[in-house]
Amino acid sequence: MKFQIEEVTVYFPYDNIYPEQYSYMVELKRALDAKGHALLEMPTGTGKTIALLSLITSYSLSKPSNPPKLLYCTRTVHEMEKTLAELRRLHSYQVSLLGTSANYLALGLSSRKNLCINPSVVSTESRDSVDAACRKLTASWVRALAMENPNVKTCEFYENYEKVGSEAILPPGVYTLADLKVFGKEKGWCPYFLARHMVQYANVVVYSYQYLLDPKVAAIISKEMQRESVVVFDEAHNIDNVCIEALSVSVRRQTLEGASRNLSRMAQEIDRFKATDAGRLRAEYNRLVDGLAQRGNLPITDTWLSNPALPDDILKEAVPGNIRRAEHFLSHLRRLVQYLKGRLQTENVEKEGLVAFVASIYTQVGIDQKMLRFCYDRLHSLMLTLEITDTDEFLHIQTICDFATLVGTYTRGFSIIIEPFDERMPHIPDPVIQLCCHDASLAIKPVFDRFQSVVITSGTLSPIDLYPRLLNFNPVVSHSFKMSLTRDCICPMVLTRGSDQLPVSTKFDMRSDPGVVRNYGRLLLEMVSVVPDGVVCFFVSYSYMDGIVNSWNETGILKEIMQQKLVFIETPDVVETTLALDNYRRACDCGRGAVFFSVARGKVAEGIDFDSHYGRLVIMFGVPFQYTLSRILLARLEYLRETFQIKEGDFLTFDALRQAAQCVGRVIRSKADYGMMIFADKRYSRHDKRSKLPGWILSHLRDAHLNLSTDMAVHIAREFLRKMAQPYDKAGGSGRKTLLSQEDLEKMMTNGNIQEMLF
Amino acid sequence: MNNSKGKRSNGDEHEDEDDEEEDEANGGGLEAWERAYADERSWESLQEDESGLLRPIDNKATYHAQYRRRIRSTPSTARIQKGLIRYLYIVVDLSRAASEMDFKPSRMAVVAKNVEAFIREFFDQNPLSQLGLVFVKDGVAQCLTELGGSPDSHIKALMGKLECSGEASLQNALELVYGYLKQVPSYGHREVLILYSALSTCDPGDIMETIQQCKKSKIRCSVVGLSAEIFICKHLCQETGGLYSIALDESHLKELLLEHAPPPPAIAEFAIASLIKMGFPQRAAEGVVSICSCHKEPKVGGGYTCPRCKARVCELPTECCVCGLTLVSSPHLARSYHHLFPITLFSEVSPSYSSKQQQRIPKNCFGCQQSLLNPGNKPGLFVACPKCSQFFCLDCDIYIHESLHNCPGCESLRHSKPVIDAEE
Repeated sequence: MKFQIEEVTVYFPYDNIYPEQYSYMVELKRALDAKGHALLEMPTGTGKTIALLSLITSYSLSKPSNPPKLLYCTRTVHEMEKTLAELRRLHSYQVSLLGTSANYLALGLSSRKNLCINPSVVSTESRDSVDAACRKLTASWVRALAMENPNVKTCEFYENYEKVGSEAILPPGVYTLADLKVFGKEKGWCPYFLARHMVQYANVVVYSYQYLLDPKVAAIISKEMQRESVVVFDEAHNIDNVCIEALSVSVRRQTLEGASRNLSRMAQEIDRFKATDAGRLRAEYNRLVDGLAQRGNLPITDTWLSNPALPDDILKEAVPGNIRRAEHFLSHLRRLVQYLKGRLQTENVEKEGLVAFVASIYTQVGIDQKMLRFCYDRLHSLMLTLEITDTDEFLHIQTICDFATLVGTYTRGFSIIIEPFDERMPHIPDPVIQLCCHDASLAIKPVFDRFQSVVITSGTLSPIDLYPRLLNFNPVVSHSFKMSLTRDCICPMVLTRGSDQLPVSTKFDMRSDPGVVRNYGRLLLEMVSVVPDGVVCFFVSYSYMDGIVNSWNETGILKEIMQQKLVFIETPDVVETTLALDNYRRACDCGRGAVFFSVARGKVAEGIDFDSHYGRLVIMFGVPFQYTLSRILLARLEYLRETFQIKEGDFLTFDALRQAAQCVGRVIRSKADYGMMIFADKRYSRHDKRSKLPGWILSHLRDAHLNLSTDMAVHIAREFLRKMAQPYDKAGGSGRKTLLSQEDLEKMMTNGNIQEMLF
Repeated sequence: MNNSKGKRSNGDEHEDEDDEEEDEANGGGLEAWERAYADERSWESLQEDESGLLRPIDNKATYHAQYRRRIRSTPSTARIQKGLIRYLYIVVDLSRAASEMDFKPSRMAVVAKNVEAFIREFFDQNPLSQLGLVFVKDGVAQCLTELGGSPDSHIKALMGKLECSGEASLQNALELVYGYLKQVPSYGHREVLILYSALSTCDPGDIMETIQQCKKSKIRCSVVGLSAEIFICKHLCQETGGLYSIALDESHLKELLLEHAPPPPAIAEFAIASLIKMGFPQRAAEGVVSICSCHKEPKVGGGYTCPRCKARVCELPTECCVCGLTLVSSPHLARSYHHLFPITLFSEVSPSYSSKQQQRIPKNCFGCQQSLLNPGNKPGLFVACPKCSQFFCLDCDIYIHESLHNCPGCESLRHSKPVIDAEE
């Protein structure tokens, strides 16, 4: 269908549209018109992605003179593929209506691991080793060697790509990662470098958050994007944490030891070069005198993740004299590593501001702030000079330099925390130096400054007024949309009491109370006997889950649960968890029924969907507060209070409720789906907690479901499941219109006098 | 109730306020605890009439409305080929879940009661068909009665064995039924109706294979669930073309079961016309002692004799155990016939319509000759046949569609036609 939103003709590839999708588009259009940033919350399962894509591409089509570019950021490769598949459908619809004038180029970009087609490279397992293997075949000096000596192996795909040079272009269309690989194989071109090259010309680019937020990657990949771009962060409820992680580094003992090994190897290399090819080192020295500005002229395969901190002037400044010579630089690094080792010896927890830390480095080992700041670039330059290709071996020293550069660049918003052991396991010494970023706005600031519109969207962004403060920006549009449903297919409940009418909670003083543990157990037991297929449980932490499952096992509750359903447990090990999930799905499919125990903030809570029968019920045991004694968190809270005037309690509750909403939101993935959500903690009935849940959950949370005990919840569950199993009319009855056809929309517009109709 | 509410709202305790909110939220319907007993509130189904006497509430209108909704929902567009010869296994789940008390007195008792009603209705509507019973309990399936045409023997067997325990196994039940149904001749329609109380199934192997096996041999599997939608049941029904429904309460369960009584549309591959050899046995003389071929024991009188091999069978319809001939009686055939030619749905005539066209409205029902007017001479609701435009009362409407399967108006019109012709 196609319709008008003000002067833009929107092409929508489906025959019907949800009302909330329409209003989402209207709001989005306003933000684009105003060339400002937007913050939009709309529940999952309402077709957020297609609404976004369809409006933005239609918007570009309506402005043929200067079409804005779309940069679409997703969290995972899987989401990337899903987005591109939607886009392909939209594109073919637009082409069928408009002909070739609607042609545009859209592609996904990912790491070499996902795009490489060279069998010998892609067979290595980790991301870093694929990168290193690729470099071994494509680095400029390797290729130069290969010119002379045909026995040196190179990558044929890259060679082919290089031969055609800038002639290598993708015809317009939508390319998923798989399509890129197929295209690459067909032509014999390297898909990774082709995609990297085409990103500058494409109208739509879908890639991961890191390409924009992580300054190391962003400077390489996203440097050339024009200002007139629309940046979309999808599923962005955790964007502040992503920003913080991008600028945080932790250094352990292993890192330091590895770094020392790296350093001695580099020293050997330098000696070798001195003996054979002293000219190279000399040339590098001269180059450094001129400054780092010429880095841009390096061949594409040699470029590396660039500087982690990005004040622009750093590239124009010359490298300080005392680290220009390779051996001097190495000895500086050695001293730095030694210093850090010394700091790790500490018996006590230490917390320090960056200014003090830099000062102490200067007094103890004589490295000043400026030298620290250039560490990363200097290391990079040295590694190029030394022609080191197995970069995955040198990760440790890279981490150290990364650390040093961040320390040297920023003064505010960070702190150094040194802990001799993990708070939760005080007997195992595990010293760590952590450089923690507290200010999410630091990493995202360049994005807001550089692009004219940034759209942050997710299913859970409540309370929506907190995000602008955390990220320090001014959205022109911030809106939360409700879900229009033909039937009440979600049933949230707040359970405050167990079957014996005593309150349940995971509050610290109550969580180990046997009564609470038993009540939680009885709750799960009763629920598994009335809910079919899959049930998902979320606990507040791994240690709490271990504890409670243990005591359920001792009291025999677990055995009773197993009679009804099979039990699967998430562990910190990814492989094990994937296996458990696979078997969980199989148990749901074949009708045996299963329970999945999982942890809020775990991998499962973030990325795995439990749609339709895989999740008929999700129980959130407790309120998933962060570990509040963690020094990093305390330091961040302090910073937030001082800088943004956000109260500690507010932030903690916000963070906990956003996690809880994220967990329970796993069960509803579309409107045809149905599911129940139980918030099992007495604290949820308090208004300050409850009101921070997203609107689409709150609107279904009836007053009668606010203060339940186990038996009442079981009764409600029974009735709900029976009601939902009845056949229903998908389009919605006469009363509630939830699917709008083109005529409906047109009627709406003329009646509401939104605008004059053009057709 | 009102009184106590008023008192409570004065109190300032937090808990009480919450309770009250609950009350209000449910205020539209019944209280949660009341709903469970709603069926048993017999004192409410009485009302006082003008003279102060108690009499049962006249719920005929609602009953009729329900009935009409049901027939309208079944596509009655005439001349759909239907599978008249059905071989149906009813699988009753007697696992632990069947002892739950959310149906009163227990799921098991309610299921048994309704299966009994269903069996009678089934044979009434499908006299040519046969039916068997299978129980699932303790993780295994056992055959209670084999395919047969006598409602009483099935019901007797069903009522005798009502106890539940253990797990349910869908796969075992399907495998068992599959074993029986694959021997059925190809003109017969193979069906399974599963009454499933449990929420899971404990299977020895891969149930997906069993489902594919059933699909391949054209066994139509339908499930009526008693608690909630289960994925595997839904999958089973989708694959094999059956219906999947969940009962809300006891009356809904009955409704859902009875939906399975009329013959389903024929499967396309079987819809080609084919001739079936049938025997019409004679009833043996009373008092003759002969060895019954189905029970392998001597019996006195009352049996039927196969016209081909002269073996004695106890009841019709059945298959001769000796020569394999299908044995039916002619009334059975006749009674199945009406499914192929359903009577058109009568249209409702509202009182307002009738008041406009006074001259056309007769005072009496064409069927039973009772007055169409309600007590108090107010015109009530009644229906008219669109073909012969005769008027019928609601009782006759149900009787004609459910039992008689002929419209008296149309029939008499056909007979009187020559007379009208002659007059003209």
